[in-house]
Amino acid sequence: MQHYTDAQLADLIRRDAVHKKVYTDPDIFELELARIWNRAWIYVGHDSQVKQPGDYFATSIGKQPVVMTRHRDGKVHVLFNRCSHKGAQVVGDTCGNLPQLRCSYHGYVFDTDGALIHVPNAEGYDGVDFGKGKPGSDMRRVARVDSYHGLVFASLDAAGPDLKTWLGGAAASIDNLVERSPQGRIEIAGGCFRYLHDSNWKMFVENLNDAMHPMVVHQSSSGTAKRVFDERLQEGDPLPFELEMLAPFTNNYDFFEKMGLTAWDYGHSVTGGKFSIHSAYSPIPGYMEALVEKYGEQKAREILAVNRHNTVVYPSFTLKGAITSIRVVKPVAVDKTVIESWVFRQVGAPEELFRRSVTYCNLINSHANLVGPDDYEAYHRLQHGLQTQDGNEWVSQHRYLGQDELDADGARHAVGTSDMVFRHQFDAWKDYMVTAA
Amino acid sequence: MRKSSNNPADLNDIQQFLYHEARLLDEQRWEEWNDLYLEDAEYWVPAAADQPDPHNHVSLIYETGLLRAVRVKRYRHPNAFSLQPKPRSVHLVSNVILDSFDKNTSEYCVNSRFVMLQYRREQQDVFAGAYRHRLRVVKEGFKIAAKRVDLLNCDAPLENILIYL
Repeated sequence: MQHYTDAQLADLIRRDAVHKKVYTDPDIFELELARIWNRAWIYVGHDSQVKQPGDYFATSIGKQPVVMTRHRDGKVHVLFNRCSHKGAQVVGDTCGNLPQLRCSYHGYVFDTDGALIHVPNAEGYDGVDFGKGKPGSDMRRVARVDSYHGLVFASLDAAGPDLKTWLGGAAASIDNLVERSPQGRIEIAGGCFRYLHDSNWKMFVENLNDAMHPMVVHQSSSGTAKRVFDERLQEGDPLPFELEMLAPFTNNYDFFEKMGLTAWDYGHSVTGGKFSIHSAYSPIPGYMEALVEKYGEQKAREILAVNRHNTVVYPSFTLKGAITSIRVVKPVAVDKTVIESWVFRQVGAPEELFRRSVTYCNLINSHANLVGPDDYEAYHRLQHGLQTQDGNEWVSQHRYLGQDELDADGARHAVGTSDMVFRHQFDAWKDYMVTAA
Repeated sequence: MRKSSNNPADLNDIQQFLYHEARLLDEQRWEEWNDLYLEDAEYWVPAAADQPDPHNHVSLIYETGLLRAVRVKRYRHPNAFSLQPKPRSVHLVSNVILDSFDKNTSEYCVNSRFVMLQYRREQQDVFAGAYRHRLRVVKEGFKIAAKRVDLLNCDAPLENILIYL
């Protein structure tokens, strides 16, 4: 493994460009796992996935297997999924309920908070530093676990800002996500897509706030949908969800420019705010009424007026409030990334709202749909284009350089198509990567 | 199931129809393929094993006539970048079983197994699983009233599925 000094890492990031190695060098990827993914708050799951004591959900942080559990005292734990004995993964399935976690190799048993509670033939551990009640014999818990409106994040670093501080202005996107429920509560429902990409994780993360690509990349799906629906729909036909969803992808540059871009510390950002590609959807009967009943007319209007498009909680988590869905970034290798898409149900909202979210995810986030594969193709061509040794080592982020506005709260603002968001993400990247050594 | 007045087709007719559908996909005759379907027919690829319905859970594909028309038209779009270079496929259909015939709707339920090989840009992917067709008897033969595709690894991390299964 090539060792990078702090100075060499810092030199990869310029104001107006980044060195292509940040996307292509496997050594950089390993450093990212150690310095970003093992330190930042990483999304683990939603507490509705572990409702009852003994419920578990097995997932990963970076490349490390972890398991989120609900202990009998109601507390949610995130444990490294490794037997303290020989190191086998203790939990083998993705989710379920287990009153105790029993290792399938030698039958050592752990409580749902990780404590070693049973060792077969235990007298073999008399007088040695391993065994029930002895330090270091439990399944290890990750350094810090916290949740925000039920979204559970973990940090493998005992030091660093608390979750709420770290989320900064991105927390408002989560507030709005949850307020959109007439009971102020969301639940994971409707399953998950796991979309494998042959490209670097940062390409996906950047793309979510890249407002220069939709009209190019998605012209074949959005543009075709507009034409087909135009031909086939009769005057007065109700507008199908599907068209409302697909059509805005090919809105013009002016639309995306004005949608705006905001960024906060630690690399978080959002496109949209007052309007977005999701804000012109038809109202769902009964939804506004349910919100008014809970919040009153004015507050209900304010909740639905928040039109954040994609919120990026750097590096692992992105969300769409209006669609009630999240995407979770799983880095696998320098050129391999899995993107999980999950849908939430807004508790108390009409079922039609949930069905719209499901339809949106089918249309946009599935690996068999008409939209996602064209994004995949863009990342694929980036990953391969950057293999050239043509003397151009740098990836441009010049657009609207020097035109960001900093507000009194420390948030940065720019027009929707600015490269500000990429510069901003790489500022955070550099902070993680360089200050860790 | 034996051919009778209650059951006007025989297994061979149905097999030939399924092979014909597979051939149209492999020969990229998208419009002709779409013409095999009734306008409101559901083409459904669940994202979970034993998924009970397409409404309460995400699906890899869930389309009726309008969305199929979009996809079919997009196959010919000059700027559908994920189709450049063009993907190619081989669909193999096997283990065809006539499960039932409903006289009221004139529909057969047909269960079969498939393997689909997708090739594009030096990468070959293998997809396999089960088909469940509802085939309606019409004057010219059959029309597809519904097709459900249960992909063996429907919940695995997968790359692009670019051609109808």
